[in-house]
Amino acid sequence: MSQHQILNSTDHGQLRIYTEAGAEFGDNVMASLAMPAEFREVQAHYPIVFRRDAETGKLAALALFGFEAGENLFLSGSTWEARYRPMAHAVQPFLIGRPAEEGAAPQVHIDMDSPRISTSGEGMRVFDDAGTPTPYLEAVATMLGDLDYAWHESPAFFTALEAYDLVEPFSLEVTLDNGSVQSLVGFQTIHEDRLAALDGEALAALMSEGHLAQIYMVLASLAQFGGLVARKNRKVLLG
Amino acid sequence: MRLSSLVKQANLRYGHPGMSNPVQHVVIVGGGTAGWLAACLLAARLPGRKITLVEAPDIPTIGVGEGTWPTMRETLGMIGIPEAEFLRECDAAFKQGSRFDGWHDGSPADSYLHPFTAPPPAEMHGLASAWQAGGCAGPFAAAITPQHAVCSANLAPRQRAMPDYAGALNYGYHLDAGKFAALLMRHATNRLGVTRIAAHVTGVTRAANGDIAALVLRDQIPVAGDLFLDCSGQAGILIAGECGAGWVDRSDVSFNDRALAVQVPVAPGSPIAAQTIGTAHEAGWLWDIGLPTRRGVGCVYASRFLTDERAEEILMAHVAANVPGADPASLKPRKLAFATGHRDRFWIGNCLAVGLSAGFIEPLEASAIVLIELSLKALAENFPQTRASMDIHAARFNELFRYRWDRIVEFLKLHYVLSARPEPYWQAQRAPETIPARLAECLALWREQSPSAWDFPRVDEMFPAASQQFVLHGMGYPVPLSDTASLRADSARLSEVTAKARALTAALPTARDYLDRLAAQAPAARIPA
Repeated sequence: MSQHQILNSTDHGQLRIYTEAGAEFGDNVMASLAMPAEFREVQAHYPIVFRRDAETGKLAALALFGFEAGENLFLSGSTWEARYRPMAHAVQPFLIGRPAEEGAAPQVHIDMDSPRISTSGEGMRVFDDAGTPTPYLEAVATMLGDLDYAWHESPAFFTALEAYDLVEPFSLEVTLDNGSVQSLVGFQTIHEDRLAALDGEALAALMSEGHLAQIYMVLASLAQFGGLVARKNRKVLLG
Repeated sequence: MRLSSLVKQANLRYGHPGMSNPVQHVVIVGGGTAGWLAACLLAARLPGRKITLVEAPDIPTIGVGEGTWPTMRETLGMIGIPEAEFLRECDAAFKQGSRFDGWHDGSPADSYLHPFTAPPPAEMHGLASAWQAGGCAGPFAAAITPQHAVCSANLAPRQRAMPDYAGALNYGYHLDAGKFAALLMRHATNRLGVTRIAAHVTGVTRAANGDIAALVLRDQIPVAGDLFLDCSGQAGILIAGECGAGWVDRSDVSFNDRALAVQVPVAPGSPIAAQTIGTAHEAGWLWDIGLPTRRGVGCVYASRFLTDERAEEILMAHVAANVPGADPASLKPRKLAFATGHRDRFWIGNCLAVGLSAGFIEPLEASAIVLIELSLKALAENFPQTRASMDIHAARFNELFRYRWDRIVEFLKLHYVLSARPEPYWQAQRAPETIPARLAECLALWREQSPSAWDFPRVDEMFPAASQQFVLHGMGYPVPLSDTASLRADSARLSEVTAKARALTAALPTARDYLDRLAAQAPAARIPA
């Protein structure tokens, strides 16, 4: 269930948002959408994988927080143990809304059914008493703008991957310290051999569009699986 | 007589550092805020010493000290009481400073804040200059600290998720003094190993050197001790009654000698003020302290200038105008008469006065409880290991606290001398012969240079330069001109304060919401009564 409203100071003048981390605020998720524009920050903390939409066949990138649904191995009480969270997750409970008419400016929407909506009088104000956006909302609006821009840019990245046939299915099986086997299936990643075989012209084209660096960020991010497995082992150990 | 027994006698008589006459047993007389704070702090800070508190079973505490300074956070943390437990048990609220209404000219717009959060001393003068250069736009305190905006919106200085006693801004508390003393007593006796004796003190026995050897109690065996703390309140039964300390009268400077106090219940959900509000009236001022369940309101006045009847009228008019839903007819004010002044010596022999037994002055800057804390800090950090060093500590303590009392008297007077109010009381407050010489001197200096550590150079100054500046410029005293070279940078700092204020007012809950959520939380294990 979600209930989206256009954010405005009349209806939301007293609204407060819980900004801390926590399972009770919907942070117990195993992954978040990640935009190619933020791969540099994302790969410093999380593995990046691709998933193909079963209906449309379109690719999207995900930052992984855990191995199974509802598992966020970066979440410890009210602490998120990483300095960066993917924009699509961090911006919740806000989202971008587009008016029906063509070319109209995007609007800030809010999901009033989100567990981040506070009714306790605690949490971060969105508007001040004069109805002016607070520094928090200003930061949210900036992030929404960045996210919107990155979202519109991202199809070009996946089109290029498909054009050079650089995507291959990816599955992972790890044996944990306690002997149990953890597996991830149904994801895609970069086909390293085909990437290595690209000729100079293809590399120049990918580089000029800014895609080449993002491809290598995805490759580098796979090293974060080591950290994710370590977190999983620690969680299993601590029960 | 053999030589060895002579040596033994000599040691007994003159002491022998580290060997004889160690100060092991501290006996406290009186169980109000002062007595129980002393018991808790000494037990926590001086492990291994025995602490005994003797209190009369049937004497109520005065309980006027209902405002603390930020020092109370460190004190409570040191004693080991969790903040949530303290807030809940004492019906406490946050205090972020004092607001003074009507002190300059009594007009409706006449109001200034003395907040607990001040910028670093190095930046204070620059900010003040930039504020003045900008035409004094808005209140002085609002320009230089984000706390002004937070107080105006009745917000808490912290979020519940923060660690105990930490805050986004500096803060102390408003509290129910009776409940506070009761919490401290439970904590001292159940968790800190303090012995409580319920008995009346009827006299003392003396050692050969004149020290107090033991307290004589009605119907109980005497209690011997090495150091005695007189926390018996204004009576000062040990420091004055037994040790003969003299009284230094300060009513020539500080005129107020009466107070009428009421406690007014408030509606659930009503806003809780973030600061003490002191409102000037024709011959004194009114305090207004907001707790979650009630407001403590009092009328302080000088009997020389105001009748008790008129004081009660002023009090009731204030309650009617300022406490929504209050029924003044149902309130019975409690009348307090007090002498303003302090002992000439606070520590005599092995007896130290802490609290009202040391002195009293009107509660304009809530100096009562902080003086207790400062006295105990000075004692705990300079504790005589043996009787041999006690007279040295006593002399230093007496010098330090005479200094502190002088600074308190002067700082309170500062609130009056800058006023332009026309009533006879206020004119008399400005009469030059009532202004202490050092204050007059400072005021002359502060025309040319801002208050600084040159004026207040000691450890733990109670009212450092920033405090003086909040009052001075809040009351319209001009900021001395500084060189203009740095004005540009200082103006940039002013806008940083504004940005910080916006961020904080968005992030902090109202004090009411904070304290209601806290009360709704399942309480942690309570100390049994």
